[in-house]
Amino acid sequence: MAHSIGNGSRPGVFSQLTRRQLVQNGVLGVGALAAGSLGPLRAARAADEINFWATGTLDIGDDGWRTIANDSGVKVHFTDNGNDPGPVLAKLAAGNAIDIFDVGGLQGGCEKELARRGLIAPWDISQIPNYASVWQWAKDIPYLTHDGKAYGIPTVINADSMIAVRDKAGSVDSYGVIFDPKLKGKTAMEDAWINSVTFTAIYLKNSENAKIAEPGNLTADELGLVMEFLIKHKRNGQFRTFWNGWEQGLQLVANQEVWVMTGWEPIVYAARMRGVDCYYAVPKEGYEGWANNAILLKSAVVRGRTKAAHQLVDALLSGFYGCKVGLLRGYVVPTDNNVAYATAHANAFDPAGVRELAERVKQKFAGKVYWQNTRPDNFQLYETWWQRLRNA
Amino acid sequence: MVAEVEERVVPHEPGPDERVGGARWRPAGFLLALPSLAVFVGVGFIPLALVATWSFWSFDPDTYWIKPAWTFASYAALLENGRATVFLRTAGLAALTATASTLLAVPAAAVVGLLSGPRRAALLLALFTIPFFTSGLVRAFAWRLVLGRQGVINNALMSLGIVETPVEWLLFSDFAVLLGMVAAYLPFAIVPIVLAFARIEHSVIRASQDLGAGFWTVLATIVLPLVLPGIVAGFLFVFVVAVGTSMEIQLLGGAGASSISIMIDDVLRVVNFPLAFAIATVVITLLTVLIIIANRALRLSRLFESLGI
Repeated sequence: MAHSIGNGSRPGVFSQLTRRQLVQNGVLGVGALAAGSLGPLRAARAADEINFWATGTLDIGDDGWRTIANDSGVKVHFTDNGNDPGPVLAKLAAGNAIDIFDVGGLQGGCEKELARRGLIAPWDISQIPNYASVWQWAKDIPYLTHDGKAYGIPTVINADSMIAVRDKAGSVDSYGVIFDPKLKGKTAMEDAWINSVTFTAIYLKNSENAKIAEPGNLTADELGLVMEFLIKHKRNGQFRTFWNGWEQGLQLVANQEVWVMTGWEPIVYAARMRGVDCYYAVPKEGYEGWANNAILLKSAVVRGRTKAAHQLVDALLSGFYGCKVGLLRGYVVPTDNNVAYATAHANAFDPAGVRELAERVKQKFAGKVYWQNTRPDNFQLYETWWQRLRNA
Repeated sequence: MVAEVEERVVPHEPGPDERVGGARWRPAGFLLALPSLAVFVGVGFIPLALVATWSFWSFDPDTYWIKPAWTFASYAALLENGRATVFLRTAGLAALTATASTLLAVPAAAVVGLLSGPRRAALLLALFTIPFFTSGLVRAFAWRLVLGRQGVINNALMSLGIVETPVEWLLFSDFAVLLGMVAAYLPFAIVPIVLAFARIEHSVIRASQDLGAGFWTVLATIVLPLVLPGIVAGFLFVFVVAVGTSMEIQLLGGAGASSISIMIDDVLRVVNFPLAFAIATVVITLLTVLIIIANRALRLSRLFESLGI
């Protein structure tokens, strides 16, 4: 006989369940949870399958990865890594990411540290024929190599500066405008020390003659100088806010909450579509360059995925991926193969558009560029100073 | 007869259905509660105990994790770089939000719990839950469009000729944060106060009026003492949620505005796990103590008596 659970005098949800049903449902629930927790490990994978763990914006969707599979013979399982270098590194060093994923895609800066810890393996450039087509200045990014070996392959690249509202901010050619008292309360920076500290350091180095060697990797003294400068201006009410994320950044410009702010170029195009006459400034101090680089996880080598990993990276540089990620995100893969592919596949991509995108980025890198660095040597000190800035 | 008396006075072991420590001991009931207890211990208590333990460990740069080198360094760090100020500011903001929400919730709850019939009360309560139909992020973001330079309020003020230029402090200010938080968390205050009002017997109020008590006397001597646990519970619900929020502060606050949650995000970004654990441990401890004191002083559990819990 099945017994009801609960107070028989008060009909309720539990009184409708039998113990057997409860046990059955419980077992099913636990089973479902257990299966879900296995994630990508669940499927047995062949040697030509790669678990690609990268910044979400590098995903080109099922159709795109299907094309990559057809062209290169490598089937990609893409997973967003959240793009926050701290947690990503922690998951690689202390978590189980190393057991699950084969190739990573990270904002540049962590490569040397990952290599020193033996978490990533060097790429064999001879197995990546399309690497020869990568623009030289992209190959020269300082943190891509360690002990003379290539640990990072630049797959997406760009350089950032400032967005200015034309009729309010006028002609802007220096980061100094961000700190100009005439625009008090009308400027903003990103709520991320990785970018805002670097932009400020670029300005102080070039326009205030501050003794700063590398804006992307400040010493303790240099960092103190930069942060004291930022704290002073924050206390004076210079910044309207520090922004976070695409939509917030766009809203600030589109609603003219700020007249000039450091930020991403695509915000300009989106704001223009909302009727705001704004432009991306060309600062005389230079741009903050950034690259998202492919890294080969050491465990992929152990699992016999080395060949497939190289094939995947070669495919990312072969042209199709550059066209696709340019179309989807406005990003640029640093190779002329994109234009060649678009020209050969004019029915799928606009060759002129692909060329224009590439030329725009090349033009930026023709001038001064300081590389963004997600892992400066004093990274924990950066956070300490950022906390002081918050509380200033 | 003698045998009967002896039988009455001889102590015996408590049976399975007798009270132990004031509560009736039921093995079957205990077994049924066991899965819930296991979930509570496994999902609630053990992780919190681990967080508290790990807050005394040290960051290990070799493994990028923590190692059992016991230290108070993380707790000392709480007093540096303005981190203590963040605690005080967050607590102050949460208290202000909870106070404002509770003050607004009392009259609203009185209408729902005391002056409405069951059908209207259910409808009004449902209306208060409408804001939860969308995400908190969207709700907070919407305030930017209302309070901004080109927002609804500034446009209205300027078109009415009240101001010539947009009022700057409406957005990216403490005012905006407080407004966003009160709007978001008001329902958390309303529900327990409605429950408290619903427990008041109308006959008690009528009897006091028959005895000559006026409105203020009834309010001060009958209604308020009876709804006080609900008011405190509502305040605590909002306070606890507000202490843990970051959305309204990031979206509506000024440059670099901080809170405890934002601070935890910041230190996790640089993998300072022990400090993050220390911050979390202090917050959890303070909130637990606060809730225990409030419950002891005002017997908040009375709120749930009418539910048979």
